[in-house]
Amino acid sequence: MTIFEGRGLTVRYGAHVALDGVDIALEPGVVHGVIGPNGAGKSTFIDALSGRKRPSSGTVTFEGVDITRRSVRWRRRKGLSRSFQRTSVFGAMTVGDQLEMVARRNNEEDLGEIVRTLGLEGILDRVCAEIAYGTQRSVDLAIALIGRPKVVLLDEPCAGLVHDESVRMLQHVRDVCKERDVAALLVEHDVEGVFRTCDVITVLDLGKLLATGTPDDVRADENVIRAYLGSAA
Amino acid sequence: MTTTAPTDVVSPSAAAPEASPRGRLKGTLVGLGIAVATLLAGLAVPYVVTDTYRMSLLVEGTLLSLLAIGIGFLARHLGLISLGHGAFFGAAAYGVGIATTNWGWSPTTAVGFGVVVGTGFAVVMGLLVVRSSGFGFLMLTLALSQALYALSVQTSARPLTGAHDGKLLSYDRDMTFLGLAQRDVMNPGLFWPMAWIALTMCATVLWLVGRSRFGTTLEGIRENEERMRFSGYDTFGPRLVAFVLSGAVASLGGALFAINSGYVSPDILGFTRAGDSLIAALVGGFGLLVGPIVGTFLFVYAQANFNFGGNLHLFTGMALILVLVFMPGGITGSLQKLYHRLRRGRR
Repeated sequence: MTIFEGRGLTVRYGAHVALDGVDIALEPGVVHGVIGPNGAGKSTFIDALSGRKRPSSGTVTFEGVDITRRSVRWRRRKGLSRSFQRTSVFGAMTVGDQLEMVARRNNEEDLGEIVRTLGLEGILDRVCAEIAYGTQRSVDLAIALIGRPKVVLLDEPCAGLVHDESVRMLQHVRDVCKERDVAALLVEHDVEGVFRTCDVITVLDLGKLLATGTPDDVRADENVIRAYLGSAA
Repeated sequence: MTTTAPTDVVSPSAAAPEASPRGRLKGTLVGLGIAVATLLAGLAVPYVVTDTYRMSLLVEGTLLSLLAIGIGFLARHLGLISLGHGAFFGAAAYGVGIATTNWGWSPTTAVGFGVVVGTGFAVVMGLLVVRSSGFGFLMLTLALSQALYALSVQTSARPLTGAHDGKLLSYDRDMTFLGLAQRDVMNPGLFWPMAWIALTMCATVLWLVGRSRFGTTLEGIRENEERMRFSGYDTFGPRLVAFVLSGAVASLGGALFAINSGYVSPDILGFTRAGDSLIAALVGGFGLLVGPIVGTFLFVYAQANFNFGGNLHLFTGMALILVLVFMPGGITGSLQKLYHRLRRGRR
């Protein structure tokens, strides 16, 4: 049962085609990973899906409705949220203030649960810019999860995290996705982490879709091995 | 003054966080108590300061403070540095002048009209500028306010604005501004209560708005506009409202300024006026509501005492350099930092 779908998404920067006719379909309760080497178009892809970048062609549909031209604000109100590769929090505000602010807007009734799941209880009255980077990434994720969104697009949530933090972060993502029946898209650099966390994986290379399938299928895919994973995988 | 500067200039809400709603309410009540006490204490000023010249400086400082707290509100809550608020101050002043002198309106109605005119300009300018930020915002507000200045000094505008000669206000002897005839309105001791009440009321309103949920929304927009949109917030509307509100406060200052001085000079719309207000607010400090007020009174004092040989700007320039280099956060910001350090040291 597809809830969120991108079809033939293409993004051009002048003559350069950053994303070339990529399709994707997300289902509730399924963690869908997107991997690919540097410059594969992963960030462009998530920008096109989330409305940050308007695709040159192709459509984005949510619950069967074409939302390609809808504003990011509209999307968030309808249950589509995203996080950012470069930590995007409200630096000068306390963690508690900013979570409450977002919760107020998105009718979140149980902010406490998100705070507990991500282990943010102890730092609610700390100014966000002053807390550890890894914790800021958790705040970033919390902001995206507030209001029970139906679809969450996560742009490298583990960027800049050390190994242990990274493992914990991906576990959180998987737990939240399963518990809340969220359709999650996980763009990630950490290939092993993606194979461990995701139910479905899409591989991009040079802006094109290389393969889509279960982790086992993708691992065995000849194109993927040749272009990206190498024989070691 | 780059796009990312605001958090340096505007010290973030470093004051003790009030976690509980009850603590918040208590804070609000304490603040309102201080506001009422300040208002009442201020009313005694004419009895202490009997010298008319000094009193006129205090009135000038109070009215220019309205302009400065408008500028400071935008800087503190949205990180936007405006050079356009002189236009609202000036437009309101000309509105009063035109309504009284050309149309024969009563001064009280004319002041109301002036505020509406200034605020109207704020709406128009706001629609054009609040989408931009940082340097773009600074330049756009400057350009639009200078356009107004250029309009006001056109020869064809002479019947309305008096062009370069400025506009002398005149109205019937039996007409009063809230009970004060023109002679009395220009007497700083008698006019003082109106200026002072206007300033304390506006400062209180801005303070309350800053503490409200709307204030939190503005803070969120200041800190991360894009994430606000990705969190479902409209970011244009709140910025426009904040811009218009701060413009309305500046307009009230301008309208009262015109009534009090009985004359509107085109200098009021000039670049120097806008720059001086901004510098005064910056020297006083944007981080606190009183910062721009402190800076403005200091500026008015300097204008009266250090203006020998037309060297005022030498002194404002030095003050600006001193503050920017050694006291980020302005005078009040530095005092606040010192206070926190002393308190921490004692503990």
